[in-house]
Amino acid sequence: MAITLTHYLALAGALFLTGMLGFIIRRNALIMLMSVELMLSATNVVFAAFSRHWGNGAGHVFVLMNFAVAAAEAAIGLAILVEIYRRRRSVNVDELKVLME
Amino acid sequence: MWESIIFWVCGGLMLLSGIMMVLSRNAVVAACWLIFCFLNAAGIFAILSAPFLAVLQVLVYAGAIMVLFLFVIMMLQAPVLEAEQRRRSLWLGPAMLLPVLATLVVLIGWLRGPLNLLPAQPLPDDFGTAQAVASLLLNEYLLAFELISIVLLVAIIGAIALGKVERKLPWR
Repeated sequence: MAITLTHYLALAGALFLTGMLGFIIRRNALIMLMSVELMLSATNVVFAAFSRHWGNGAGHVFVLMNFAVAAAEAAIGLAILVEIYRRRRSVNVDELKVLME
Repeated sequence: MWESIIFWVCGGLMLLSGIMMVLSRNAVVAACWLIFCFLNAAGIFAILSAPFLAVLQVLVYAGAIMVLFLFVIMMLQAPVLEAEQRRRSLWLGPAMLLPVLATLVVLIGWLRGPLNLLPAQPLPDDFGTAQAVASLLLNEYLLAFELISIVLLVAIIGAIALGKVERKLPWR
């Protein structure tokens, strides 16, 4: 069976769902960040699939932009995480509820 | 033929390693699964006739970003995963709603009939090569290129400001 656009969309949807579930279920900030990376990667697959479907390279440009956003997100997120760990000795997001109290 | 083989192998492994990343207890193990997932994503890009993106996926994602993650995990050096299991059940219920909702969306789409798209367009000869992407990036999408540089600049400044030990920022 030939691989159509729908297959790629299904794969990307499943990956996005996995990342979203990981973001909600896991309480470890490191793994939550990794789940966000997984979600961004799923959107990259959609961009590339549609780019080939239309025969238009614009999707590749936006995948490149997504790479930069993912890199920036990882750098800032991890910097915040290190700072939180330095103060609270924990990366469990359930224990970070200063603003709630 | 080759496309379907590579799609099923790389796509299946990508999904599997994503699920293993979410489920693994140890953060280092999770990072390794995610690296494997990104390597398979490079395979998916390769069959989508985007060789430049496949190379960048390995270089940027599996190389730079995941090394950053592993570096921070090693630096924190904590048994970072203790005391996580306690509260997990609290979030499991709402999270289980997500697959149900996603299935609902897919079903509604299914009932509305097939995806009403124009047929696939023929690809230009140099589709997806570094040359073609660079030419688009520097002519038509110059604004996106400049935006990328601003995003990266802000990220650099933010990371430096967050990482400073003594807080002597100008606005304090």
